[in-house]
Amino acid sequence: MMNPLAVPDQHRNKDGLMADFEAVIGLETHIQLNTVTKIFCSCKADSWQDPPNTNICPVCAGLPGVLPVLNEAAVYKGALLAAAMHAEIRLVSYFDRKNYFYPDLPKGYQISQFDLALGDGGYLDVTMPGGFVRRVNITKLHLEEDAGKTKYEGGQRLVDFNRCGVPLVEMVTEPDLRSADEAAQYLIRLRQLLRWLGVSEADMEKGHLRCDANVSIRTAGSTYLNTKTEIKNVNSIEAVRAAINMEIERQVSLVQAGGQVESWTLDWDETRQRLNKMRSKETEADYRYFREPDLLPLELTSEWRDAVIQNLPELPLERQLRFMTRYQLPEYDADILTADRPIADYYEAALTAYGTDPKILSNWIMNEVLRMQNELGLSADALTLTPEYLAEVIRLVDAGTINAATGKALLVKVQQSGQPPQAIVAAEGLSQVSDDSALQSVIDAVLAAHPQEVESYRGGKEGLFGWFMGQVMRQTRGQADPAKTRALLQKALQGKR
Amino acid sequence: MSLTDQSAFDIAHKIQRGELAAVDVLDAALERIAAVDGRPGALDYGPLTQEDQTKVHAFITLTADRARQKAERVDARISSGEDAGALAGVPITIKDLFCLKGVPTTAASRILSNFVAPYTATAIERLEDAGAVVLGKVNMDEFAYGSSNESSAFKPTTRNPWDLTRVPGGSSGGSAAAVASGQGCLSVGTDTGGSIRQPAAYCGVVGLKPTYGRISRYGVIAFASSLDCPGPLARNVRDAALMLSVMAGADTRDSTAVRLPVPDYLAGIDRGVKGMRIGLSKDYLQISYPDPDTGETIMEDLPAEIRNMTLRAAETLAAEGAEIVENVPMPNSIYGIPAYFVISRVEASSNLHRFDGVKYGYRARASGGDLAELYRLTRAEGFGLEPKLRVLMGMYMSGGQLSLQYFQRALQARSMIRADFETAFDPDGPYRLDVLLTPTAPTPAFKMGDFYGDSTLMQYSDQLTVSANHAGVPALSIPGGLSAEGLPMGLQLIGPDFAEATLFRAGYAFEQATADADWRAVKPCVLAEVE
Amino acid sequence: MRDEISPEIFAKLADLAAFRFNPEEAEYLRMELNQQLKAIRQLETLALDVDVPLVPRGVTYTAESRPPLRPDVWVPFENPEEILNQAPEVEDGYLIVPDIPHRELD
Repeated sequence: MMNPLAVPDQHRNKDGLMADFEAVIGLETHIQLNTVTKIFCSCKADSWQDPPNTNICPVCAGLPGVLPVLNEAAVYKGALLAAAMHAEIRLVSYFDRKNYFYPDLPKGYQISQFDLALGDGGYLDVTMPGGFVRRVNITKLHLEEDAGKTKYEGGQRLVDFNRCGVPLVEMVTEPDLRSADEAAQYLIRLRQLLRWLGVSEADMEKGHLRCDANVSIRTAGSTYLNTKTEIKNVNSIEAVRAAINMEIERQVSLVQAGGQVESWTLDWDETRQRLNKMRSKETEADYRYFREPDLLPLELTSEWRDAVIQNLPELPLERQLRFMTRYQLPEYDADILTADRPIADYYEAALTAYGTDPKILSNWIMNEVLRMQNELGLSADALTLTPEYLAEVIRLVDAGTINAATGKALLVKVQQSGQPPQAIVAAEGLSQVSDDSALQSVIDAVLAAHPQEVESYRGGKEGLFGWFMGQVMRQTRGQADPAKTRALLQKALQGKR
Repeated sequence: MSLTDQSAFDIAHKIQRGELAAVDVLDAALERIAAVDGRPGALDYGPLTQEDQTKVHAFITLTADRARQKAERVDARISSGEDAGALAGVPITIKDLFCLKGVPTTAASRILSNFVAPYTATAIERLEDAGAVVLGKVNMDEFAYGSSNESSAFKPTTRNPWDLTRVPGGSSGGSAAAVASGQGCLSVGTDTGGSIRQPAAYCGVVGLKPTYGRISRYGVIAFASSLDCPGPLARNVRDAALMLSVMAGADTRDSTAVRLPVPDYLAGIDRGVKGMRIGLSKDYLQISYPDPDTGETIMEDLPAEIRNMTLRAAETLAAEGAEIVENVPMPNSIYGIPAYFVISRVEASSNLHRFDGVKYGYRARASGGDLAELYRLTRAEGFGLEPKLRVLMGMYMSGGQLSLQYFQRALQARSMIRADFETAFDPDGPYRLDVLLTPTAPTPAFKMGDFYGDSTLMQYSDQLTVSANHAGVPALSIPGGLSAEGLPMGLQLIGPDFAEATLFRAGYAFEQATADADWRAVKPCVLAEVE
Repeated sequence: MRDEISPEIFAKLADLAAFRFNPEEAEYLRMELNQQLKAIRQLETLALDVDVPLVPRGVTYTAESRPPLRPDVWVPFENPEEILNQAPEVEDGYLIVPDIPHRELD
């Protein structure tokens, strides 16, 4: 497969023998859209911690006689994701029935999109740990309904329909990934994108983002595809990494021992950290897909599609690159400051308020704000410490009004109290301005910043004294003692210390 | 004449004006039911008695108490000066395929025998909101799969009020029989391949298959979702029009229900047929079916009395000022039944997937078995032969390569059938029809047991009705006369999309023009005894 | 004429449909299916390559007649417990079914 952005992968396993093989991995992801309601009925989409079978209605419980009615928000969010994945949004797409018996599927069929789905094609460029960018192509992107949940208890199966009908986007990649780490990285970037777009909470532990992995191996550098296995039920990034690594090792050992990989479906057992073989699955024809007669074709206008594309925010990778070029940030900083949209917005808002060195600001955010966020478990937009307050604190430090340690402590106080930094400095007497040396340094800075005015003053324009007073007072936010300032300023302007 | 034999239109008007009490109408209806219906259909029915053979057996569930509450509410509204609705106090029955909250909804199948619907179908909700009083749920072919009512799991199955040894037709047989025998004035049925029109013809009543999407399907247990149409059965055209006015319209719970405004179907119903272009087609005056041995297609003319009835009706309408257009070609109607065999089965097999003993209805007492065993036993015991046959055929037709061979071709046939109608109704085309006039069914009602068991021949009794389902267009069946044996024969009026008002107008004109015809005075035999 | 649906195909269909039949029932249904197929074969006279749209339903929907998509507004169902009440077996709010023995440890 030609892949213009992909740099040949230098992946080499620790085990020398495995260097002869490369892994070929495709991921099948199910993404829960964070709509208010389910995809085909007006029950709420999120049943987290609701008692079983309480968030159901005749439609999602598959009662006789019910009909699906498509949720416009699910279409919008699905289309937004498709646009972000560079997929074509089909103006006419269809829903189909996928028929099979399972107790968590109340209608005995799942409403999905088979051949003419909402999204057509697409890709995600993923910066891999080695530093190169891998283009991961998308073969399928469609809307469908989620099934319910079953669990095994005491020799019987318990069925809960609360999750039935939650809107999902199923997204399937080409077999473009070459290692467990790459698969994990793809998921990390996909999760980032989903949250960035606001289309999914993308919490793997809660099942908002689910992943099945198709794994095969082949002689390194070859282009053919071997028989693959499918790993199901991998519900964290770490599980994806572990399960795929384990399966690659199993396949390599098997082939090296002269065996052949069979097309198995494997189940990841999280507690025991191992793979189990599942019963051979039905072939696709047995699902007997046909057009869902209860829904009309999904017809979108080109105006609507254009509006979706217009609403697409600047994507994480684009923004990272802009941070690097426009603000001259190192890649490391730019990556971290674009981890999610709130932090990227926070950075840019703070930069506007701060007005000067983007790197100094970046350091403050990466060291102080991110730590605060992690400790509090808040996203950047939920902090009481606004970007403007942050900028003010940094300026106080820059101005020598407070020292850096005080500044860091002040950030915490602002976050806790919600008070403006200046008010806290005043109330708690944090200012260094009463002490001569601090005031002296502000005066020195003002004089250094305005050499022409100093020259004019010294040339006889003594009327400028008041202007200098004003500058110093402004720099110190009026915290300086005016008498002391006058004395020190006079000395300084006379060239004396 | 009993109150229950009056028209819905008259009853509603008299009740609205306070001239009649809804409870009195209800009592008359219940009295009629007690006189003619016999025991309701049941799963454990025991041997058929002599008396059973003298009764209609339209009902599965009689909801007399519920009906009385509703009737009293109508009377209370009237006495307090409120609007009681367009169908105030009109007693109606419902095919047991419609969900009605708190009432058993069986689809005439063992697998739903203990299902009590927790919600109400939109069409029924609208009828009740308009003041209609639901007498109960009436019998039908199991899951609406049949043309005779004989496949119901609830026995005794419904008999034809005109001849109790004959079938009432199907699948809305209970509805047609109830209306014909005065067990309520109106009934709600469904029509997938002719299931309203064929029993209406067999029982001498009016039945309309509206345009697909005209009436919401929400709450109607699905047979073939792309073909299913709920619709009215009534004793005269005006009552059917009144009923459609109430049932039709957009529904936020059905994405295939159109949001076009609902016309007042009563307005202008009496404007006559002057200038209307009414077509006749030779393709609707013959029948084709496969030879049971060779599979060769046999073409035959329809029985003379059916043909003659149709031609006489054309003459009657011509005398009223209609322009008769002969020889309108409908060449693709021969594909109607083969395509129906495929499309309806594929959709039905999927629609029946949900009946698995997990969520509702019948569950087999599987001892110690696993889930797959539970599914198999439940479905083996819960479904009758006809649903099984339809599911198996649907499974066969929708798998892989066969889907291309059969399902795609069937969809293609549907498009071609639709094209025939578009040509016929095209206002700029060669025929410019307002209405196509055909017989509803190839024969009058047949004897019970005549075809039951031969699923292929049974299906062919829908040959003249099924094309309208494929095309989605509306079709009205009205009584057209009696056969030599004294059995009702039906006329079918087919129009372009959403032209129900035109069909009512033509049907009403025919009714008026034949009001004094001898055959109009003949009543179903079961009514002879009650009068 | 050879039966299109052989006993083997019939058995597979029965399995897919989750049915179980006794031999007489199976034979009757299989014969009926084959009989119906004779009627269905009439479709084979249609040429598949003809340019005819395969419409999902007869009526054509227009911008005026097509219903809008559903707004994303939560409307809870009034009595979910009534739905549960229909289930043959319920325990602590869960529907109960026998286990699915689908997993074999490798």
